[in-house]
Amino acid sequence: MPDITSVINTLDERQPYIALKQAKKGGELACDNTSIAGSMSQRACVYSGARVALNPVTDAIHLVHGPIGCASYTWDIRGSLSSDKETFRTSFSTDMKELDVVFGGEKKLSKCIDELVELYNPPVIFVYSTCIVGIIGDDLQAVCKESSEKVGIPVIPVQSEGFKGTKSDGYKAACNALKELIGTREPEITSEYRINILGDYNVAGDVWLVKPLFEKMGIQVITSMTGDATVDSISKSHGAQLNLVQCSGSMTFLAKWMNQEFGIPFRKVSYFGIEDLAIALRTVAEFFGSEEMMKTAEQIIENETRRIMPEIKAIRSRLEGKTAAIYMGGAAKALTLIKGFHELGMEVVIIGTQTGKRDDYKQISYQVKDGTVIVDDANPLELADLIRKQKADLMVAGVKERFLAYKLGVAFCDFNHDRVIEFEGYDGFLNFARELDASINSPVWKAYGSKLRPANDGDTPSESSDLKAENGTKLKSSIKETNKMQDLNTATLHQESIA
Amino acid sequence: MTERNYSTVNPCIMCQPIGSVMAFKGIEDSMVLLHGSQGCSTYMRLHLAHHFREPVDIGSSSLSEKGAVYGGSENLKKGLKNLILRYRPKVIGVSTTCLAETIGDDIGRIISEFKEEEEDLAKDLIIIPVPTPSYEESHNSGYIKAVEAIVKQFTTHESESDIFNNKLNVVLSENISPEDTRELKNILSNTIGSNSFIFLPDISETFDAPMTGELQKIFPGGTTHSDIADMKNSAATIGLGITNDNRAVGYLEQTFDIPSQNLPLPIGLEYTDRLLAALSKIAGTDVPEDYQKERGRLIDAMVDAHKYLYGTKVAIYGDPNNVLGMLSLALENGMHPIMVVASSKSPKFAEYAMERVKQVKPDCDVTILEDVDFDTFNDAVRKAKPEMLIGNSNGKYIAKEMGIPLVRIGFPIHDRVGAQRLLDVGYRGAMEMLDRITNTILEVQEDKLAVKWSEPESYVPLGEDSFHSAEA
Repeated sequence: MPDITSVINTLDERQPYIALKQAKKGGELACDNTSIAGSMSQRACVYSGARVALNPVTDAIHLVHGPIGCASYTWDIRGSLSSDKETFRTSFSTDMKELDVVFGGEKKLSKCIDELVELYNPPVIFVYSTCIVGIIGDDLQAVCKESSEKVGIPVIPVQSEGFKGTKSDGYKAACNALKELIGTREPEITSEYRINILGDYNVAGDVWLVKPLFEKMGIQVITSMTGDATVDSISKSHGAQLNLVQCSGSMTFLAKWMNQEFGIPFRKVSYFGIEDLAIALRTVAEFFGSEEMMKTAEQIIENETRRIMPEIKAIRSRLEGKTAAIYMGGAAKALTLIKGFHELGMEVVIIGTQTGKRDDYKQISYQVKDGTVIVDDANPLELADLIRKQKADLMVAGVKERFLAYKLGVAFCDFNHDRVIEFEGYDGFLNFARELDASINSPVWKAYGSKLRPANDGDTPSESSDLKAENGTKLKSSIKETNKMQDLNTATLHQESIA
Repeated sequence: MTERNYSTVNPCIMCQPIGSVMAFKGIEDSMVLLHGSQGCSTYMRLHLAHHFREPVDIGSSSLSEKGAVYGGSENLKKGLKNLILRYRPKVIGVSTTCLAETIGDDIGRIISEFKEEEEDLAKDLIIIPVPTPSYEESHNSGYIKAVEAIVKQFTTHESESDIFNNKLNVVLSENISPEDTRELKNILSNTIGSNSFIFLPDISETFDAPMTGELQKIFPGGTTHSDIADMKNSAATIGLGITNDNRAVGYLEQTFDIPSQNLPLPIGLEYTDRLLAALSKIAGTDVPEDYQKERGRLIDAMVDAHKYLYGTKVAIYGDPNNVLGMLSLALENGMHPIMVVASSKSPKFAEYAMERVKQVKPDCDVTILEDVDFDTFNDAVRKAKPEMLIGNSNGKYIAKEMGIPLVRIGFPIHDRVGAQRLLDVGYRGAMEMLDRITNTILEVQEDKLAVKWSEPESYVPLGEDSFHSAEA
């Protein structure tokens, strides 16, 4: 794949992580390593991986064992919604202080657990370990085990010391915690066809646009992990015959385990975009081998597609030919976005992820056109340079990238925690199209990069020419060309002047 | 919830390193590198980007398991090197995290080694270490410690000039908004002269950068290095914020004999008066006519609004100096502050809050809390039943539950735009806050009246809780 040096200037050590897709060249993108110190990675830590994957369990207490910061910055961080309890939106911390660090935090942790059980009566407590716990050697397993026996509910350790790996290791820690619950209660069976939705976090209510589709097909959805999941539904999830995995980076590990442990096979699907939605519904109907179900699936696909198509077409006409940059946490979302953009007439020119693996990047490489840049664990300066060089019109990413895109005069769509609009299901895709339309076609970009110049006698109304003598000189003296970034190529920005 | 002794539920504070970041971002051409695991810097970038709505780059030494076991020296050096290669800053603040502190890394020593080993790269570069373990104190103390470290570093290192500059140092002890910073600098320019003060830290441009059509690696702006170095030659120092020890102010006084005075953040009439009176005294002139007029307009606004505000029960929470200022403003306008809550432990917060209450409304029953979490605050709010909250966006949950309005001010504000442009200092800031508070009350009361108007069958007389609409 390489020919890397021609892509952008960056740290030498970072070069293997960036590549231009070219038809004839092979090679592999470097990935799945810890971030390089000082490279300004957009990734977070092991704890963050565990926290985002597990936090949407609605009725659990998520107790962070560590100093206050880790709990502070992750309080209600994910836009996951609940159809019942809201316990997960509360931030619980043991708030370790210096004395706890010196003498160990086990006692405080155990007392916190006792106290929280008494006050909240939760069905489970997940205890996340943070950096410091791994250093001072608190025995999380032992404390949790002892507490669990004492208080009579599962108290499950989540081994997520921030420095012990990457965000992906945090996903595993979350899956390991979920394992403790799965199979502990007997499911109520209401249909001969039963599935679990894995790797959907119900951000902005995504799951609620997908679950009804399966239910219409006569399928019982036992749980969705972890979006809008309850401890009860997770405990019964072994009653499913099929696991659907969407966010494969976070949940494949669990799906594989459930396959081993309970003989439940899994399929990787996506509920985003017209094509992937259809594939998801057909995959399930095919799995169950029911002709009737397949018929219903086809009906849903046809009716729903027909319903949203007029507006999709209208928006498509305004997006046709625009270019997109994708920078996602996980590869599954990045992959499905390629198709989604295609369905809206847009072309992907940059695609990157924080946690993609070898196989993910191979697949990405199959899906994108020659000339697309593929990048792992990118940083702001690389992204900025790539956006300029590849002339992206829009970026889809998370909050940290939003303001970077804006400063570059590039439209933006949030496809991360922060989202308040559903993007899954048929209405979700419509929402996505509207979001792109709203950002790309907004008139605000006309002012981007513009500078005010004194009015000319010929082309200005007489009123403002009066101001010229007084203000003109002042304005002119304040206009100065600022320096280009030093080690970035100086691809020019599309600047427009309103003058 | 009821009494808790051990767990913290919905924290009011953030950890020390984020406070240090806010201080370093107010220095010209500077970057910050957090010595710790990758997550710390990313979470703080998120938290700050959310609030200021700007790209925020914070480096990390990305400590891994190996680094944690054998020491983080290699990671920190590599982090510094890469940060320099990519961003070319002139100043790097290196703040520690709980991880770096617990493994016992001596960052001062590591930095010295780095400067020796990378002589070419580190030439003309100022690296400022600040120990900010997350298990101690809060973001407020992280801010104070970083400001102190910055002043110390520049005044001991760059000894180019010892010539008395006859300037005034103005040193913050708590983070304020970019708009507040701009307003304070204006006030200083208009009272003592634009070249007569050194303002530290100055985030007016670095956290609220104009759209220019270019992306700068490091946003221009911030207190200049020569200015900070020159602080030791100043005539006097004013520290803004009085609830916590403004260590940089004390350091300048003790080391360079610069007389100093700590004033409250100038929020509301009284506290702004105190700043302007002090500045006029320093300048040896009368209060400029423009400010007399502005002050007059504020008093006019206060009179216009007084009936709407009188007796309105309000709970104020947030960082201590901001809360103290808001308390003062609320009292001056006849509101009834039933609760004031400082996010972190602050040695003098309760004392000054009580003093201000006694000055304006001695019979006011007010609960003063500090260093509590939001769960404790929420319980207190449920009991005290205020009609309004003033504070950061984390109060939205309780405001929603109680069905009362929240006037947003302070840090963080994650659910509304414009946090970087919120103004609450000076007479103009007081007017803005007053208008926002009053209009919020009017809106609530309009809604209440609308409900009454919609039930015409049985005549409901306007009760005591309705507002004085006849005189509006």
